[in-house]
Amino acid sequence: MIVAAGGVFSTPLAARPFVPASDAQVLAELPAGARHAQVSAQQLARGRLDVAVPLAQFYIGQARATGDLRFLGYAQGVLAPWVAQSAPVPAALVLQATLQQSRHEFDAALTTLDRSLAARPNDAQAWLTRATVLRVLGRYPEAASACEQFSRWADPSLSLICEQGIKGLTGQLETAYARLSDLSTQGMLDGEKVWRDAELGEMAVRLGRDADAERWFREDLHLSPNDFYVRAAYADLLLRQHRSAEVLVLLKDKESIEPLLLRLAIAQEQRNDPGLARSSEQLQAAFAAEAERGEPVHRREQARFLLEVQKRPREALAVALANWAVQREPDDALVLVNAARAAGSPQQAQPALQFARAQSLSDVRLTAAAGTRS
Amino acid sequence: MKTRSGALALVLACAAMTAQAHVASNSFLSMQVKGAQVDGALELAVRDAEIAVGLDADHDGKVTWGEVRAAQGALVLYLRQHLQLSQTEGRCELSFGTVQINERIDGNYLWQPFTAVCPATVRALTIDYRLLDPEDPSHRGLLTLSAQGVAQTAVLGGSRALQSFDLRHPSVWYAFVEYLQAGIWHIWSGIDHLLFLLSLLLPAVLVRRNHRWQAVSQAAPALLNILKVVTAFTLAHSITLSLAAFDIIRLPSRLTESVIAASIVVAALNNVFPLVTEARWRIAFAFGLLHGFGFAAVLSEMGLPQGARLVSLVAFNLGVEAGQLAVVLAVMPVAYLLRSTRFYQGALMPWGSTGIAGLALVWFIQRAAG
Repeated sequence: MIVAAGGVFSTPLAARPFVPASDAQVLAELPAGARHAQVSAQQLARGRLDVAVPLAQFYIGQARATGDLRFLGYAQGVLAPWVAQSAPVPAALVLQATLQQSRHEFDAALTTLDRSLAARPNDAQAWLTRATVLRVLGRYPEAASACEQFSRWADPSLSLICEQGIKGLTGQLETAYARLSDLSTQGMLDGEKVWRDAELGEMAVRLGRDADAERWFREDLHLSPNDFYVRAAYADLLLRQHRSAEVLVLLKDKESIEPLLLRLAIAQEQRNDPGLARSSEQLQAAFAAEAERGEPVHRREQARFLLEVQKRPREALAVALANWAVQREPDDALVLVNAARAAGSPQQAQPALQFARAQSLSDVRLTAAAGTRS
Repeated sequence: MKTRSGALALVLACAAMTAQAHVASNSFLSMQVKGAQVDGALELAVRDAEIAVGLDADHDGKVTWGEVRAAQGALVLYLRQHLQLSQTEGRCELSFGTVQINERIDGNYLWQPFTAVCPATVRALTIDYRLLDPEDPSHRGLLTLSAQGVAQTAVLGGSRALQSFDLRHPSVWYAFVEYLQAGIWHIWSGIDHLLFLLSLLLPAVLVRRNHRWQAVSQAAPALLNILKVVTAFTLAHSITLSLAAFDIIRLPSRLTESVIAASIVVAALNNVFPLVTEARWRIAFAFGLLHGFGFAAVLSEMGLPQGARLVSLVAFNLGVEAGQLAVVLAVMPVAYLLRSTRFYQGALMPWGSTGIAGLALVWFIQRAAG
């Protein structure tokens, strides 16, 4: 295909090729699971589902811990022969849907889940993943019924987190927060506690109870230091409170994860930190590479980068609008409202505000952003 | 059976994540076609080369330059199996040079030069790209293919492993058409530029005598007025658009957008309380400089394709002029016919202009307040 517009695949940061001075020079360090030796395990997984599923889960876990998107590719490679089979293999399909979701291929993820659920309707994991995808899309009634299905097959306390998570977005934030706070964590696995605390932290943020939110986030990071999602939410909280020095500490050595790198850059910008140049360069390179591949998955981050670091509100607004067309979490609404206001076109944020009104979504950040006429 | 397992918890956590990771696996493939020969270089991340051929011979989790050099033969063999160039006349013969290293923002890449000799002059090139297949199906090759000074780009791999490129139709033409359309579309959708121009053109069919507007008696002076204003505006915004497009000058978008709004206020108010009556082209020129920066913002979002930068810029500018000219041709004959009426002189001139000024003032406040 000819791409006349949009520029040549940029090699903006590519220096000239060189010959290293010494044979001992280290060119790359390989994280676990990124070695040629494992190719034999991948080959084995092509014929054995009991190898393929744990291997794919391992890669997904590595992607999450290191922020390295290559691991999602390896997981996809391991799952590919199983997903391609005409007879559905639910265990592989659910993992495939998780991969698709992480690439923002939401419709494809739902289709994959439908296939899986048709073959195995009592699959709790599939219903939960379905609920999560629908929630990201802002399709709350459907997400709620997926949670309902989930509750038929899953533990009651997990069902409660799923269900109250949606209620907290649809007009019942106070009660949902109370119900989840009261939920006993006795006997819960760490991963489940982390899920509950993350929900509570996000709800507390939307309620404007920042001190509570901070407590939940800290508890979460204590249990699960690799949870970049919670770390990002915590960084946002600190940034709102102008505690950028703490953000630098919180995100130290986490630059490889793009959403965290964004928060780091915002904090560096606020503090005139000399590290900003490199962070910006890395983010721009990552956004450019995504655009070149035609897979702009980090539009939310890109909009915030343009708005909060580069101070280019009109470009930020264009990206925020494109992002809103794809995903509809409160953070997506927030960046759109902020960008529209900064660009002097507050009416452009109407889709997000109408959505919030229609769903009775309550979020103090959104109310404050939409109400300000600065 | 109710589920409660570690496996569930893992994927639970993953379900909560949306897009997380940094850059996916990309290689950079550049090729220049000259006659029957293709010169190129492939840049493959050290990480990806490890998956492909296994560089880390001592299994210490670190890849050294010595290990890369030792694996050169294996790398070339792998590339022969996973990258092929051909044309209708047959396969191109690939030969590989000595590998070097290129440092990119996301890590080190192997830089592998190669030359392909094809059976005949290359008018169409087929590329079969299967690197990292099947280990990483999300791996892509980002291709830049140049022939006769024109570059085209494509994403290779995945479901598009096999692609053919026609090198006879220079993509300059596609760039020209695309940017021409973008220019026309921009002037029509960006009502602020048109309102500015119309504010300056409304009085072009009139003449100011004794503190009153009167209709011009002949077409010639009206035409001359229009010509001066449109030319001045065009000249001015072409200058700044070019300067900004080539990154010689940049202005913050908030500033340009605010001043563009202010320029409409000034131009419209000048019709109600005329200060500049004869040389309105000077207003057109002065503010036209700023409107050019406004156009440039649109262009910077699109980017200028390499190898066709100048053509695209000219096409975009021509699009803007064409869009603008179409509006002038549609509006000004009507203005000329109506110029003697009380509606034109007593209603449209003062109240229409006041309305435009009011609207632009609101924009100005919104944009300046940010």
